[in-house]
Amino acid sequence: MSGQRNKIEIRDLSLRYGNDQALYNINLDVREHEILAIIGPANAGKTSLLNCINRMIDFVPSARVSGSIRFDGLEVSKLRDPAQLRRRIGMVFPLPVGLPMSIYDNVAFAPRMSGIRSGSALDEIVETCLQQAALFDEVKDRLGDLGTKLSGGQQQRLTIARALSLRPEVLCLDEFSIAVDPVTTMKIEAVIKTLREQMTVIVVTNLVLQAKRLADRTALFLGGKLIEVDDNEIIFSRRTADMRTFQYVQGLFG
Amino acid sequence: MSAVREQSHAVFQATAVTLANRSRERFAVRVLTLITTLLILPLIAIISLLVAKGAPAMSLEFLLAAPVAGMTAGGIFPAIVGTLWLVGVSLAVAAPIGILAAVYLNEYAGDNWVTRIINLAIVNLAGVPSIVHALFGVGAFVLFLGMGTSILSASLTLAIMTLPVIIASTKEALASVPLAFREACWVLGASRWQTIRHVVLPNSISGILTGVILQVSRAAGETAPIMFTGAAFYLPFLPQSVYDQCMALSMHLFTVSTQVPNVPEAIPYATALVLLGLVMSVNLTSILFRSYLRSRRKW
Repeated sequence: MSGQRNKIEIRDLSLRYGNDQALYNINLDVREHEILAIIGPANAGKTSLLNCINRMIDFVPSARVSGSIRFDGLEVSKLRDPAQLRRRIGMVFPLPVGLPMSIYDNVAFAPRMSGIRSGSALDEIVETCLQQAALFDEVKDRLGDLGTKLSGGQQQRLTIARALSLRPEVLCLDEFSIAVDPVTTMKIEAVIKTLREQMTVIVVTNLVLQAKRLADRTALFLGGKLIEVDDNEIIFSRRTADMRTFQYVQGLFG
Repeated sequence: MSAVREQSHAVFQATAVTLANRSRERFAVRVLTLITTLLILPLIAIISLLVAKGAPAMSLEFLLAAPVAGMTAGGIFPAIVGTLWLVGVSLAVAAPIGILAAVYLNEYAGDNWVTRIINLAIVNLAGVPSIVHALFGVGAFVLFLGMGTSILSASLTLAIMTLPVIIASTKEALASVPLAFREACWVLGASRWQTIRHVVLPNSISGILTGVILQVSRAAGETAPIMFTGAAFYLPFLPQSVYDQCMALSMHLFTVSTQVPNVPEAIPYATALVLLGLVMSVNLTSILFRSYLRSRRKW
Protein backbone atom coordinates (compact mmCIF):
# COMPACT_ATOMS: atom_id res chain seq x y z
CA MET A 1 0.00 0.00 0.00
CA SER A 2 2.72 2.46 0.93
CA GLY A 3 5.01 3.60 -1.84
CA GLN A 4 8.50 2.36 -1.12
CA ARG A 5 10.18 5.61 -2.12
CA ASN A 6 11.42 7.57 0.88
CA LYS A 7 9.95 11.06 1.14
CA ILE A 8 12.07 12.05 4.11
CA GLU A 9 15.34 10.46 5.20
CA ILE A 10 16.70 11.38 8.62
CA ARG A 11 20.27 10.36 9.42
CA ASP A 12 22.15 10.81 12.71
CA LEU A 13 19.98 13.76 13.66
CA SER A 14 20.87 15.29 17.01
CA LEU A 15 19.45 18.43 18.54
CA ARG A 16 20.50 20.44 21.55
CA TYR A 17 18.77 23.39 23.20
CA GLY A 18 21.72 25.05 24.94
CA ASN A 19 23.00 22.30 27.22
CA ASP A 20 19.89 20.13 27.02
CA GLN A 21 19.99 17.45 24.39
CA ALA A 22 16.53 16.90 22.90
CA LEU A 23 17.30 14.35 20.15
CA TYR A 24 20.02 11.66 20.04
CA ASN A 25 21.22 10.29 16.68
CA ILE A 26 17.83 9.73 15.09
CA ASN A 27 17.68 7.57 11.97
CA LEU A 28 14.23 7.42 10.45
CA ASP A 29 12.70 7.18 6.97
CA VAL A 30 9.27 8.46 6.09
CA ARG A 31 7.88 6.68 3.04
CA GLU A 32 5.86 8.44 0.38
CA HIS A 33 2.06 8.23 0.87
CA GLU A 34 2.27 6.49 4.21
CA ILE A 35 0.79 7.56 7.51
CA LEU A 36 3.55 7.47 10.08
CA ALA A 37 2.61 7.84 13.73
CA ILE A 38 5.12 9.06 16.30
CA ILE A 39 4.25 8.15 19.88
CA GLY A 40 6.00 8.64 23.18
CA PRO A 41 5.60 10.38 26.52
CA ALA A 42 6.21 14.09 27.16
CA ASN A 43 9.74 15.31 26.48
CA ALA A 44 10.41 12.45 24.08
CA GLY A 45 11.45 14.84 21.31
CA LYS A 46 8.46 14.27 19.03
CA THR A 47 7.67 17.93 18.42
CA SER A 48 11.36 18.82 18.19
CA LEU A 49 11.70 16.29 15.38
CA LEU A 50 8.88 17.92 13.39
CA ASN A 51 10.43 21.35 13.95
CA CYS A 52 13.72 20.08 12.53
CA ILE A 53 12.02 18.68 9.42
CA ASN A 54 10.41 21.98 8.39
CA ARG A 55 13.19 24.12 9.90
CA MET A 56 10.88 25.93 12.32
CA ILE A 57 13.81 25.15 14.64
CA ASP A 58 15.53 28.16 12.99
CA PHE A 59 13.33 30.39 15.15
CA VAL A 60 14.69 28.89 18.38
CA PRO A 61 17.97 30.77 18.94
CA SER A 62 19.46 28.24 21.37
CA ALA A 63 18.87 25.21 19.11
CA ARG A 64 21.84 23.42 17.54
CA VAL A 65 21.08 20.75 14.93
CA SER A 66 23.54 18.18 13.60
CA GLY A 67 23.10 15.28 11.21
CA SER A 68 21.13 15.19 7.99
CA ILE A 69 17.50 15.43 6.90
CA ARG A 70 16.78 14.84 3.24
CA PHE A 71 13.43 15.88 1.80
CA ASP A 72 12.98 14.35 -1.67
CA GLY A 73 16.74 13.86 -1.59
CA LEU A 74 17.42 17.56 -0.84
CA GLU A 75 19.45 18.38 2.25
CA VAL A 76 17.05 20.46 4.35
CA SER A 77 19.71 22.36 6.29
CA LYS A 78 21.30 23.61 3.06
CA LEU A 79 18.14 25.20 1.64
CA ARG A 80 18.60 28.94 1.23
CA ASP A 81 14.90 29.71 1.60
CA PRO A 82 13.30 27.58 4.33
CA ALA A 83 9.94 29.25 3.58
CA GLN A 84 9.90 27.28 0.32
CA LEU A 85 10.31 24.05 2.29
CA ARG A 86 7.52 25.04 4.70
CA ARG A 87 5.15 25.54 1.77
CA ARG A 88 5.70 21.88 0.86
CA ILE A 89 5.22 20.66 4.45
CA GLY A 90 1.88 21.42 6.07
CA MET A 91 2.02 21.65 9.86
CA VAL A 92 -0.69 21.65 12.51
CA PHE A 93 0.20 22.60 16.09
CA PRO A 94 -1.37 21.04 19.22
CA LEU A 95 -3.36 24.14 20.16
CA PRO A 96 -5.55 25.63 17.43
CA VAL A 97 -4.50 29.10 16.30
CA GLY A 98 -7.03 30.99 14.21
CA LEU A 99 -5.28 33.98 12.71
CA PRO A 100 -7.03 37.29 13.56
CA MET A 101 -8.71 37.56 10.16
CA SER A 102 -11.77 36.11 8.46
CA ILE A 103 -12.23 32.37 7.93
CA TYR A 104 -11.75 32.92 4.20
CA ASP A 105 -8.57 34.96 4.72
CA ASN A 106 -7.20 32.34 7.13
CA VAL A 107 -7.27 29.71 4.42
CA ALA A 108 -6.31 32.10 1.61
CA PHE A 109 -3.39 33.56 3.60
CA ALA A 110 -0.65 31.14 2.56
CA PRO A 111 -1.67 31.01 -1.15
CA ARG A 112 -1.74 34.82 -1.21
CA MET A 113 1.68 35.02 0.43
CA SER A 114 3.03 32.61 -2.16
CA GLY A 115 1.79 34.88 -4.94
CA ILE A 116 -1.67 33.62 -5.97
CA ARG A 117 -3.80 36.69 -6.70
CA SER A 118 -6.72 35.40 -8.76
CA GLY A 119 -9.99 35.57 -6.85
CA SER A 120 -11.52 32.50 -8.44
CA ALA A 121 -8.41 30.40 -7.79
CA LEU A 122 -8.47 31.49 -4.13
CA ASP A 123 -12.22 30.76 -3.88
CA GLU A 124 -11.60 27.26 -5.13
CA ILE A 125 -8.68 26.64 -2.75
CA VAL A 126 -10.67 27.91 0.23
CA GLU A 127 -13.68 25.71 -0.56
CA THR A 128 -11.62 22.59 -1.29
CA CYS A 129 -9.48 22.91 1.82
CA LEU A 130 -12.39 23.63 4.14
CA GLN A 131 -14.17 20.62 2.68
CA GLN A 132 -11.08 18.43 3.14
CA ALA A 133 -10.89 19.55 6.77
CA ALA A 134 -14.60 18.68 7.29
CA LEU A 135 -15.41 22.28 8.18
CA PHE A 136 -17.00 23.67 5.02
CA ASP A 137 -20.64 22.79 5.79
CA GLU A 138 -20.45 24.46 9.20
CA VAL A 139 -19.00 27.75 7.97
CA LYS A 140 -19.98 28.09 4.32
CA ASP A 141 -22.52 30.84 5.06
CA ARG A 142 -20.15 32.90 7.19
CA LEU A 143 -16.75 32.80 5.55
CA GLY A 144 -16.37 36.47 6.38
CA ASP A 145 -16.56 35.90 10.15
CA LEU A 146 -13.43 36.05 12.26
CA GLY A 147 -11.50 32.78 12.42
CA THR A 148 -10.65 33.51 16.05
CA LYS A 149 -14.35 33.45 17.02
CA LEU A 150 -14.84 29.80 16.04
CA SER A 151 -14.98 27.10 18.71
CA GLY A 152 -11.78 25.26 19.61
CA GLY A 153 -12.59 22.19 17.53
CA GLN A 154 -13.61 24.32 14.55
CA GLN A 155 -10.44 26.38 14.84
CA GLN A 156 -8.38 23.20 14.79
CA ARG A 157 -10.09 22.12 11.57
CA LEU A 158 -9.53 25.63 10.23
CA THR A 159 -5.84 25.19 11.05
CA ILE A 160 -5.85 21.91 9.10
CA ALA A 161 -7.58 23.59 6.15
CA ARG A 162 -4.89 26.27 6.28
CA ALA A 163 -2.13 23.67 6.38
CA LEU A 164 -3.65 22.07 3.25
CA SER A 165 -4.02 25.36 1.38
CA LEU A 166 -0.70 25.04 -0.46
CA ARG A 167 -1.33 21.39 -1.38
CA PRO A 168 1.66 20.21 0.66
CA GLU A 169 3.48 16.95 -0.09
CA VAL A 170 3.80 16.16 3.61
CA LEU A 171 1.31 16.94 6.35
CA CYS A 172 2.55 16.95 9.95
CA LEU A 173 -0.06 16.89 12.71
CA ASP A 174 1.26 17.51 16.20
CA GLU A 175 -1.22 16.14 18.74
CA PHE A 176 -4.05 17.63 16.73
CA SER A 177 -6.76 16.08 18.92
CA ILE A 178 -5.58 17.59 22.21
CA ALA A 179 -8.16 20.40 22.10
CA VAL A 180 -10.82 18.61 20.07
CA ASP A 181 -13.84 16.56 21.12
CA PRO A 182 -14.03 12.84 20.20
CA VAL A 183 -16.59 13.33 17.41
CA THR A 184 -14.45 15.94 15.68
CA THR A 185 -11.38 13.78 16.25
CA MET A 186 -13.00 10.91 14.37
CA LYS A 187 -13.99 13.32 11.58
CA ILE A 188 -10.41 14.53 11.26
CA GLU A 189 -9.05 10.99 11.37
CA ALA A 190 -11.35 10.07 8.48
CA VAL A 191 -10.02 13.11 6.61
CA ILE A 192 -6.42 12.08 7.22
CA LYS A 193 -7.11 8.61 5.81
CA THR A 194 -8.41 10.12 2.57
CA LEU A 195 -5.50 12.58 2.36
CA ARG A 196 -2.89 9.84 2.21
CA GLU A 197 -3.79 9.38 -1.48
CA GLN A 198 -2.35 12.83 -2.15
CA MET A 199 0.33 13.24 0.47
CA THR A 200 2.51 11.74 3.15
CA VAL A 201 1.22 12.17 6.68
CA ILE A 202 3.14 12.27 9.97
CA VAL A 203 0.97 12.15 13.08
CA VAL A 204 2.48 12.90 16.47
CA THR A 205 0.10 11.64 19.11
CA ASN A 206 -0.17 10.89 22.79
CA LEU A 207 -2.96 8.46 22.13
CA VAL A 208 -1.60 5.00 21.44
CA LEU A 209 -4.96 3.86 20.08
CA GLN A 210 -5.01 6.76 17.63
CA ALA A 211 -1.67 5.58 16.25
CA LYS A 212 -3.06 2.07 15.99
CA ARG A 213 -6.24 3.20 14.19
CA LEU A 214 -4.60 5.64 11.84
CA ALA A 215 -1.05 4.73 10.95
CA ASP A 216 0.70 2.25 8.66
CA ARG A 217 3.83 2.42 10.74
CA THR A 218 4.51 3.73 14.22
CA ALA A 219 7.69 5.07 15.81
CA LEU A 220 8.24 5.16 19.56
CA PHE A 221 10.40 7.91 21.03
CA LEU A 222 11.66 7.95 24.61
CA GLY A 223 13.82 10.71 26.08
CA GLY A 224 14.99 11.97 22.70
CA LYS A 225 15.88 8.54 21.33
CA LEU A 226 14.10 6.53 18.66
CA ILE A 227 13.36 3.22 20.34
CA GLU A 228 11.66 1.37 17.54
CA VAL A 229 9.88 1.98 14.26
CA ASP A 230 7.98 -0.69 12.40
CA ASP A 231 4.72 -1.66 10.75
CA ASN A 232 1.72 -1.38 13.03
CA GLU A 233 1.21 -5.16 13.00
CA ILE A 234 4.58 -5.52 14.71
CA ILE A 235 4.39 -2.50 17.05
CA PHE A 236 0.97 -3.45 18.35
CA SER A 237 1.80 -7.11 18.87
CA ARG A 238 3.98 -9.18 21.19
CA ARG A 239 6.70 -9.34 18.54
CA THR A 240 8.20 -5.89 19.14
CA ALA A 241 11.97 -5.72 18.84
CA ASP A 242 12.28 -3.73 22.06
CA MET A 243 10.52 -4.69 25.28
CA ARG A 244 9.85 -1.04 26.08
CA THR A 245 7.69 -0.67 22.97
CA PHE A 246 5.45 -3.50 24.09
CA GLN A 247 5.26 -2.09 27.60
CA TYR A 248 4.52 1.45 26.42
CA VAL A 249 1.81 0.34 24.01
CA GLN A 250 0.25 -1.76 26.76
CA GLY A 251 0.27 1.27 29.05
CA LEU A 252 2.69 -0.31 31.52
CA PHE A 253 4.74 2.91 31.74
CA GLY A 254 4.93 6.33 30.14
CA MET B 1 -32.01 14.86 56.44
CA SER B 2 -32.58 17.80 58.75
CA ALA B 3 -29.24 17.17 60.41
CA VAL B 4 -27.56 17.50 57.04
CA ARG B 5 -29.38 20.76 56.34
CA GLU B 6 -28.39 22.22 59.69
CA GLN B 7 -24.82 21.26 59.06
CA SER B 8 -24.74 22.89 55.63
CA HIS B 9 -26.16 26.09 57.08
CA ALA B 10 -23.55 26.01 59.80
CA VAL B 11 -20.86 26.24 57.14
CA PHE B 12 -22.05 29.74 56.25
CA GLN B 13 -22.29 30.96 59.89
CA ALA B 14 -19.97 33.92 60.49
CA THR B 15 -17.06 33.04 62.72
CA ALA B 16 -14.82 35.54 64.46
CA VAL B 17 -12.21 35.13 61.71
CA THR B 18 -14.60 35.78 58.82
CA LEU B 19 -16.05 38.82 60.62
CA ALA B 20 -12.57 40.25 61.12
CA ASN B 21 -11.75 39.58 57.48
CA ARG B 22 -14.93 41.32 56.36
CA SER B 23 -14.20 44.47 58.34
CA ARG B 24 -10.60 44.54 57.07
CA GLU B 25 -11.91 44.16 53.53
CA ARG B 26 -14.28 47.13 53.99
CA PHE B 27 -11.46 49.21 55.47
CA ALA B 28 -9.10 48.41 52.59
CA VAL B 29 -11.69 49.24 49.95
CA ARG B 30 -12.47 52.59 51.62
CA VAL B 31 -8.81 53.61 51.92
CA LEU B 32 -8.03 52.66 48.32
CA THR B 33 -11.10 54.47 47.01
CA LEU B 34 -10.23 57.58 49.02
CA ILE B 35 -6.64 57.71 47.77
CA THR B 36 -7.71 57.22 44.16
CA THR B 37 -10.32 59.95 44.47
CA LEU B 38 -7.75 62.34 45.96
CA LEU B 39 -5.67 61.91 42.80
CA ILE B 40 -8.29 63.75 40.77
CA LEU B 41 -8.26 66.77 43.08
CA PRO B 42 -5.06 68.44 41.80
CA LEU B 43 -6.32 68.18 38.21
CA ILE B 44 -9.68 69.69 39.14
CA ALA B 45 -7.91 72.43 41.14
CA ILE B 46 -5.59 73.32 38.26
CA ILE B 47 -8.36 73.45 35.69
CA SER B 48 -10.72 75.50 37.85
CA LEU B 49 -7.93 77.95 38.73
CA LEU B 50 -7.00 78.38 35.07
CA VAL B 51 -10.61 78.79 34.01
CA ALA B 52 -11.38 81.29 36.80
CA LYS B 53 -8.30 83.44 36.27
CA GLY B 54 -8.01 83.06 32.51
CA ALA B 55 -11.65 83.60 31.62
CA PRO B 56 -11.46 87.42 31.39
CA ALA B 57 -8.85 87.23 28.63
CA MET B 58 -10.39 84.29 26.78
CA SER B 59 -12.14 85.16 23.55
CA LEU B 60 -12.13 84.19 19.91
CA GLU B 61 -9.92 87.18 19.25
CA PHE B 62 -7.43 85.93 21.86
CA LEU B 63 -7.12 82.68 19.91
CA LEU B 64 -6.94 84.23 16.46
CA ALA B 65 -4.96 87.48 16.90
CA ALA B 66 -1.25 88.20 17.32
CA PRO B 67 0.08 89.68 20.54
CA VAL B 68 0.36 93.48 20.51
CA ALA B 69 1.73 96.23 22.76
CA GLY B 70 4.81 94.32 23.86
CA MET B 71 2.75 91.17 24.46
CA THR B 72 0.63 92.87 27.14
CA ALA B 73 -2.45 92.68 24.93
CA GLY B 74 -3.79 90.93 21.86
CA GLY B 75 -3.87 87.16 21.29
CA ILE B 76 -1.70 84.08 20.97
CA PHE B 77 -2.41 82.91 17.41
CA PRO B 78 1.28 82.76 16.33
CA ALA B 79 2.12 80.65 19.37
CA ILE B 80 -0.66 78.16 18.57
CA VAL B 81 0.51 77.92 14.95
CA GLY B 82 4.13 77.57 16.09
CA THR B 83 3.31 74.74 18.49
CA LEU B 84 1.46 72.91 15.69
CA TRP B 85 4.50 73.31 13.42
CA LEU B 86 6.91 72.03 16.05
CA VAL B 87 4.77 69.07 17.04
CA GLY B 88 3.96 68.19 13.43
CA VAL B 89 7.54 68.26 12.15
CA SER B 90 8.98 66.47 15.18
CA LEU B 91 6.38 63.74 14.86
CA ALA B 92 6.94 63.39 11.11
CA VAL B 93 10.57 62.64 11.95
CA ALA B 94 10.23 60.65 15.18
CA ALA B 95 7.20 58.45 14.41
CA PRO B 96 8.50 56.63 11.29
CA ILE B 97 12.01 56.19 12.68
CA GLY B 98 10.73 55.10 16.08
CA ILE B 99 8.21 52.61 14.67
CA LEU B 100 10.69 51.09 12.23
CA ALA B 101 13.36 50.81 14.93
CA ALA B 102 10.87 49.13 17.26
CA VAL B 103 9.83 46.68 14.53
CA TYR B 104 13.47 45.79 14.00
CA LEU B 105 14.19 45.41 17.71
CA ASN B 106 11.07 43.38 18.47
CA GLU B 107 10.79 41.25 15.33
CA TYR B 108 14.26 40.79 13.88
CA ALA B 109 17.00 41.53 16.42
CA GLY B 110 18.51 38.48 18.05
CA ASP B 111 19.30 38.42 21.74
CA ASN B 112 22.97 39.44 21.51
CA TRP B 113 25.20 42.15 22.96
CA VAL B 114 24.55 44.62 20.12
CA THR B 115 20.79 44.49 20.75
CA ARG B 116 21.32 44.78 24.48
CA ILE B 117 23.48 47.88 24.04
CA ILE B 118 20.87 49.45 21.74
CA ASN B 119 18.09 48.73 24.23
CA LEU B 120 20.20 50.13 27.05
CA ALA B 121 20.86 53.27 25.01
CA ILE B 122 17.13 53.72 24.39
CA VAL B 123 16.26 53.36 28.07
CA ASN B 124 18.95 55.87 29.02
CA LEU B 125 17.97 58.30 26.27
CA ALA B 126 14.44 58.28 27.69
CA GLY B 127 15.82 59.33 31.06
CA VAL B 128 17.87 62.29 29.82
CA PRO B 129 16.50 65.60 31.19
CA SER B 130 14.99 67.86 28.55
CA ILE B 131 17.44 70.70 29.20
CA VAL B 132 20.26 68.32 28.23
CA HIS B 133 18.40 67.55 25.00
CA ALA B 134 18.20 71.32 24.48
CA LEU B 135 21.97 71.75 24.81
CA PHE B 136 22.52 68.79 22.48
CA GLY B 137 20.12 70.38 19.99
CA VAL B 138 22.03 73.65 20.08
CA GLY B 139 25.34 71.90 19.59
CA ALA B 140 24.26 69.38 16.96
CA PHE B 141 21.55 71.04 14.87
CA VAL B 142 21.85 74.79 15.39
CA LEU B 143 25.65 75.03 15.29
CA PHE B 144 27.27 71.89 13.88
CA LEU B 145 24.77 71.17 11.12
CA GLY B 146 24.24 74.88 10.57
CA MET B 147 20.44 74.80 10.70
CA GLY B 148 20.40 77.89 12.89
CA THR B 149 17.60 78.57 15.33
CA SER B 150 14.69 77.28 13.30
CA ILE B 151 11.60 75.09 13.45
CA LEU B 152 13.75 72.33 11.96
CA SER B 153 16.36 72.47 14.75
CA ALA B 154 13.71 72.67 17.46
CA SER B 155 11.63 69.87 15.95
CA LEU B 156 14.62 67.57 15.56
CA THR B 157 15.52 68.22 19.19
CA LEU B 158 11.96 67.34 20.21
CA ALA B 159 12.12 64.28 17.96
CA ILE B 160 15.29 63.02 19.67
CA MET B 161 13.54 63.53 22.99
CA THR B 162 10.34 61.67 22.05
CA LEU B 163 12.03 58.91 20.01
CA PRO B 164 12.98 56.55 22.87
CA VAL B 165 9.47 56.66 24.32
CA ILE B 166 7.90 56.00 20.91
CA ILE B 167 10.26 53.04 20.44
CA ALA B 168 9.41 51.67 23.88
CA SER B 169 5.62 52.01 23.48
CA THR B 170 5.72 50.55 19.94
CA LYS B 171 7.78 47.58 21.12
CA GLU B 172 5.22 46.98 23.84
CA ALA B 173 2.37 47.12 21.31
CA LEU B 174 4.16 44.67 19.00
CA ALA B 175 4.91 42.31 21.87
CA SER B 176 1.21 42.20 22.74
CA VAL B 177 0.55 40.26 19.51
CA PRO B 178 0.81 36.58 20.56
CA LEU B 179 3.84 34.64 19.32
CA ALA B 180 1.47 31.86 18.23
CA PHE B 181 0.18 34.11 15.39
CA ARG B 182 3.72 34.61 14.11
CA GLU B 183 4.47 30.88 14.29
CA ALA B 184 1.25 30.08 12.46
CA CYS B 185 2.37 32.39 9.64
CA TRP B 186 5.97 31.18 9.49
CA VAL B 187 4.88 27.57 9.33
CA LEU B 188 2.75 28.45 6.29
CA GLY B 189 5.86 29.67 4.48
CA ALA B 190 5.29 33.38 5.09
CA SER B 191 8.47 35.41 5.47
CA ARG B 192 9.13 37.50 8.54
CA TRP B 193 8.25 40.67 6.66
CA GLN B 194 5.00 39.21 5.28
CA THR B 195 4.09 38.17 8.82
CA ILE B 196 4.83 41.65 10.16
CA ARG B 197 3.02 43.37 7.30
CA HIS B 198 -0.13 41.23 7.28
CA VAL B 199 -0.56 40.04 10.87
CA VAL B 200 1.62 41.82 13.42
CA LEU B 201 1.21 45.46 12.34
CA PRO B 202 -2.56 45.37 11.61
CA ASN B 203 -3.13 43.92 15.08
CA SER B 204 -0.88 46.29 16.99
CA ILE B 205 -1.58 49.53 15.16
CA SER B 206 -3.95 50.81 17.87
CA GLY B 207 -1.28 50.48 20.55
CA ILE B 208 1.38 51.97 18.28
CA LEU B 209 -0.70 55.02 17.37
CA THR B 210 -1.75 55.57 20.98
CA GLY B 211 1.88 55.66 22.04
CA VAL B 212 2.74 58.09 19.25
CA ILE B 213 -0.20 60.40 19.96
CA LEU B 214 0.68 60.57 23.65
CA GLN B 215 4.08 61.90 22.63
CA VAL B 216 2.34 64.76 20.82
CA SER B 217 1.14 66.14 24.14
CA ARG B 218 4.58 65.74 25.65
CA ALA B 219 6.24 67.53 22.73
CA ALA B 220 3.64 70.31 22.85
CA GLY B 221 4.28 70.99 26.53
CA GLU B 222 8.10 71.04 26.54
CA THR B 223 9.83 74.41 26.78
CA ALA B 224 13.50 73.72 27.41
CA PRO B 225 14.32 71.82 24.20
CA ILE B 226 12.85 74.52 21.95
CA MET B 227 13.96 77.57 23.91
CA PHE B 228 17.47 77.76 22.42
CA THR B 229 16.84 75.88 19.19
CA GLY B 230 13.94 77.53 17.42
CA ALA B 231 11.29 79.17 19.57
CA ALA B 232 11.22 82.97 19.62
CA PHE B 233 10.02 85.38 22.30
CA TYR B 234 8.05 87.38 19.83
CA LEU B 235 7.66 87.28 16.07
CA PRO B 236 5.51 89.69 14.13
CA PHE B 237 4.89 87.16 11.35
CA LEU B 238 3.90 83.48 11.02
CA PRO B 239 6.59 80.95 10.01
CA GLN B 240 6.64 80.24 6.26
CA SER B 241 8.91 77.17 6.27
CA VAL B 242 10.83 74.90 8.62
CA TYR B 243 13.83 77.24 8.32
CA ASP B 244 11.99 80.07 10.11
CA GLN B 245 11.76 80.56 13.82
CA CYS B 246 8.37 80.40 15.44
CA MET B 247 6.56 81.22 18.64
CA ALA B 248 5.25 78.37 20.78
CA LEU B 249 2.59 78.13 23.48
CA SER B 250 4.86 76.74 26.17
CA MET B 251 7.55 79.30 25.40
CA HIS B 252 5.00 82.12 25.25
CA LEU B 253 3.62 81.09 28.63
CA PHE B 254 7.12 81.24 30.10
CA THR B 255 7.75 84.64 28.48
CA VAL B 256 4.56 86.41 29.54
CA SER B 257 4.72 85.00 33.07
CA THR B 258 8.33 85.86 33.84
CA GLN B 259 10.05 87.98 31.21
CA VAL B 260 7.64 90.75 30.26
CA PRO B 261 6.53 93.44 32.78
CA ASN B 262 2.97 94.70 33.14
CA VAL B 263 1.18 91.74 31.51
CA PRO B 264 -2.45 91.57 32.70
CA GLU B 265 -2.80 88.55 34.99
CA ALA B 266 -5.43 86.91 32.82
CA ILE B 267 -3.16 86.50 29.77
CA PRO B 268 -0.71 83.88 31.14
CA TYR B 269 -3.62 81.96 32.70
CA ALA B 270 -5.57 81.97 29.45
CA THR B 271 -2.42 80.85 27.57
CA ALA B 272 -1.94 77.99 30.01
CA LEU B 273 -5.61 77.07 29.60
CA VAL B 274 -5.21 76.88 25.81
CA LEU B 275 -2.07 74.75 26.13
CA LEU B 276 -3.74 72.43 28.63
CA GLY B 277 -6.85 72.23 26.45
CA LEU B 278 -4.75 71.33 23.42
CA VAL B 279 -2.86 68.62 25.29
CA MET B 280 -5.98 67.19 26.89
CA SER B 281 -7.94 67.10 23.64
CA VAL B 282 -5.05 65.24 22.00
CA ASN B 283 -5.01 62.75 24.88
CA LEU B 284 -8.78 62.39 24.72
CA THR B 285 -8.60 61.72 20.99
CA SER B 286 -6.04 59.03 21.63
CA ILE B 287 -8.17 57.42 24.33
CA LEU B 288 -11.30 57.44 22.14
CA PHE B 289 -9.30 56.13 19.19
CA ARG B 290 -7.84 53.32 21.28
CA SER B 291 -11.20 52.24 22.66
CA TYR B 292 -12.62 52.30 19.13
CA LEU B 293 -9.84 50.05 17.84
CA ARG B 294 -10.10 47.80 20.92
CA SER B 295 -13.77 47.25 20.20
CA ARG B 296 -12.70 45.90 16.81
CA ARG B 297 -10.09 43.65 18.37
CA LYS B 298 -9.96 40.38 16.54
CA TRP B 299 -9.08 37.87 19.24
